[in-house]
Amino acid sequence: MKALVITRFTLQEAISRRLVLAGLLLSLVFLALFAAGFQFLYTRALESGTRSPGSLVQVFAGAALTVLGLYAVYFLSSFLALFLTVGAISGEVDSGTLHAVLARPISRAEYVAGRWLGFAILIVLYVAAMAGALLLLARLFAGYEPTSAERTIALMLLCALALLTLSLLGSTLLSTLANGVVVFSLFGLAWLAGIIEFVGDVLPNQSMIDLGIVVSLLIPSDALWRGASYYAQSPAFLLAASAGRGTFPFASLVPPALPFLIWSALYTPVLLLAAVLAFCRRDL
Amino acid sequence: MAAEAPAATPAVETIGLRKEYGRRVAVQSLSLTVWPGEVFGFLGPNGAGKSTTVKILVGLVQPTAGQARIFGQPVSDLRVRQRVGYLPEHFRFHDWLTGVGLLDFHGRLAGLSAAERRRRIPEVLRRVGLAEWGQDRLRGYSKGMMQRIGLAQALLPHPDLVLLDEPTSALDPIGRREVRDLIRSLRADGVTVFLNSHLLSEIELVCDRVAIVDRGQVVRSGRLADLMAAAPELRLTLDRVDSELLALLGRHGEVLAVEATTVTLGVSDLEAAPRVAAALVRGGYRLYGLVPAQRSLEDVFVSLVESREP
Repeated sequence: MKALVITRFTLQEAISRRLVLAGLLLSLVFLALFAAGFQFLYTRALESGTRSPGSLVQVFAGAALTVLGLYAVYFLSSFLALFLTVGAISGEVDSGTLHAVLARPISRAEYVAGRWLGFAILIVLYVAAMAGALLLLARLFAGYEPTSAERTIALMLLCALALLTLSLLGSTLLSTLANGVVVFSLFGLAWLAGIIEFVGDVLPNQSMIDLGIVVSLLIPSDALWRGASYYAQSPAFLLAASAGRGTFPFASLVPPALPFLIWSALYTPVLLLAAVLAFCRRDL
Repeated sequence: MAAEAPAATPAVETIGLRKEYGRRVAVQSLSLTVWPGEVFGFLGPNGAGKSTTVKILVGLVQPTAGQARIFGQPVSDLRVRQRVGYLPEHFRFHDWLTGVGLLDFHGRLAGLSAAERRRRIPEVLRRVGLAEWGQDRLRGYSKGMMQRIGLAQALLPHPDLVLLDEPTSALDPIGRREVRDLIRSLRADGVTVFLNSHLLSEIELVCDRVAIVDRGQVVRSGRLADLMAAAPELRLTLDRVDSELLALLGRHGEVLAVEATTVTLGVSDLEAAPRVAAALVRGGYRLYGLVPAQRSLEDVFVSLVESREP
């Protein structure tokens, strides 16, 4: 398969340009910071809550820190996904490096697919390692158990892949700069729609909720994060928070709906297909 | 030598090829045939549609209309690209790769096995004079070295057809001569070479056949020798040059240049020579010299392109 030659090349490029090394070092710094913060805040939370040892305060501190940490991972991985592919095709077209490559016996579809796979491997490794390490640290320091670590990571992976593919599609159609503006605006829009939906839910206001849902179908990143956040909270915390209604504006107390999950799973392949079709027609 | 008796299947064949970018027509009904084993020069001013034509041949650009075939197969057929080497006009390669890394990548894309790549990569590096630079990263290469590695990349999979788009634009005179020698050695190996160039001397020195293209159309094509013989010129040395003389000569041909008492006259064929001599003597001029000369490709090119100016 010629696509795998392109995948190999993409990974080689990431290593050669020190992208992997920089990502690795910064991730270690991030995890160390999280571990230190967790250790410090968690022991303080326990000390101040001595009247009810091991109960509400412990539950709250564990969930809050874990969800916040994962929220940071969500942002980092989203930016990484968008940055990785914002010029994946357009940059190669602009610099003229693609001409000699595509004159070889390789189809445009194979090229796009190979490029996508290379970036997808990078982002999957990043998200799985970061979210996994974070949940592991929470468990080691505080014995924190999320509702489902697997589903948390799976939904975060789905989110990163969706953004990666959206940005790759943009790079087959637009210049790198224009694509950057578009995909980061869309990412921000999804974030805003999530907040609107949250507020609509608290008020409650059905129009606001509907608006949030429409945007999350177009760009599912924020809704997927909310799905992941549900599974990242411990069952005890969910129970306590549900009674009080509405806790973090960026986390969800209800599991993601099945139709949304099906749509999200289709989102990446549909966009990838669109990217292939768009690129096949392009004159270089 | 050039294929004297054309083989059954042309190496390159386009029929009524047309490419429009919006309202701009880059290639307008272009038909040409290149036979296997030929070194074919594709010559034209900037913006004539040369690069677009080559890009259509390697599948980078979709034609609006018409057909393009390589060795009898439509250019959309990926398998035919196994037999093609291409040096793009803007030879840019990923500068984080080493020379060997680039060739390895292209070898994989071309479907060469690991053993073939191991054998072939040092071979092509030697052929373009980069044997000692293979392990260096491309970002340290000079422009001329980049062009050489581009040539190496084009030659890597033992192609039967090599498409070179301005292959010597970044090279110094010695590099140019090396590329000419390279093209000649490719011809000796039976490889068809399609050479895009605006450097007329380049084409004059290596090509068997030429097509002159202007505004997306072939305005003249044929064997190089025929093209140049078709439009000879006469160098006349006289005792004086005045306006009556120029008017007289203008009736027999086109005055191309006047230097002191020497006039260069473009004529339709050499039969004009005795007629011009007789007319000059009748007119009272003293004729010291009359030398028929072949026009350079540049003269043919300029007169063809200028005669088409609106």
